Amino acid sequence: MRIPILKLKRYLLISVQVDLDDQTALQFQEDLLNKIHQEGSAGVVIDLTSVDMIDSFIAKVLGDVVEMSNLMGAKVVLTGIQPGVAITLIDMGIMLEEVPTALDLEQGLDKLQQELEA
Amino acid sequence: MQSSVIEMVYTHRHEVIEQWKEEMINIQEGEFTNGAAQAAVTRTNDEFAALIIDTLEMDKEEARLRLRSFSERLMYSGWPLSYFTKGLQLFRRVLLRFMTTNDTIPSSKVFETFQEVENWMDGIVNQLVDEYTGSWEHTLELQKLALKELSAPLIPVFENISVMPLIGTIDTERAKLVMENLLEGIIEHRSQVVLIDITGVPVVDTMVAHHIIQAAEAVRLVGAECILVGIRPEIAQTIVNLGIDLGKFPTKSTLRKGIESGLERTNRQIVNL
Repeated sequence: MRIPILKLKRYLLISVQVDLDDQTALQFQEDLLNKIHQEGSAGVVIDLTSVDMIDSFIAKVLGDVVEMSNLMGAKVVLTGIQPGVAITLIDMGIMLEEVPTALDLEQGLDKLQQELEA
Repeated sequence: MQSSVIEMVYTHRHEVIEQWKEEMINIQEGEFTNGAAQAAVTRTNDEFAALIIDTLEMDKEEARLRLRSFSERLMYSGWPLSYFTKGLQLFRRVLLRFMTTNDTIPSSKVFETFQEVENWMDGIVNQLVDEYTGSWEHTLELQKLALKELSAPLIPVFENISVMPLIGTIDTERAKLVMENLLEGIIEHRSQVVLIDITGVPVVDTMVAHHIIQAAEAVRLVGAECILVGIRPEIAQTIVNLGIDLGKFPTKSTLRKGIESGLERTNRQIVNL
């Protein structure tokens, strides 16, 4: 199962529509980095609106993806994290401190724009 | 219940009740009856005595219902539980004294009869106590619910800016509620900035601070920003003295400054016309 990565001008958009399992998450990490390399994208928005559950491994993978993408010169914003997911993450002590977040896709794109201009 | 006892109670019904009422008047002086008119007190006493004796003849279910309706009525008009317990203790004492002095029961059966009377009285006491505690628990539940409703509202004040005023002590249960309301509210109102106002929180200890920090982190994860406002001087002192690190998210002394800062963060400002 692969998660589709859409290209929009300088950005890449990913909407995760399924609950991530370990294999899918790792596959996604690889796909995304390849895509960034291929397209030379400046920013990435990962939308998690339809994700109801994130375990510690997935959280780590997401944190890693953000860090790796930053290394490759693409800023990443996570959007649409659900209240329940946020509470679980905080309870597990996963703060995702270095990861920029936004409420939804629209605000996520605004945030990317701001960060790229700054 | 032995028929001899029942018979005895019925034949001496009036004497027993009269004696009981006399004793009740002695202990009632100024105790339960503050405010209640003397006539009302007498009427309640009559009714109570009649009810106690009537329960002898009723089956269990009927006695239970009668007792319940009687106790409920008195509960609502504010009679204390001690009126019932003291009244019943007194009734038992009067009854037993009556039985022994009048030689109505053969001495061989004294213990048996006493036990019967005890059982009879205890049943009534138990039910009354249950009714009262039940009503207290019910009241407590209602109050808890009311408190919960008032506990953590999220108020949208500007587009993309919401305020959550917290008043009163924050315990773990409430902190959970605060977090849930906060996150749900952010999604609902599409808030980019939320102000948590702790002006009304009397004490901020490590636990409260921990809950607030967690809430702020969760807010950041769903994609909004959290500003802590209403930090009074004494709160600032405790926070620093306890070594709590609130450096990771912005704090302001008053709600007003918080709102200004929130507007700034969403690229707006208040101007004079």
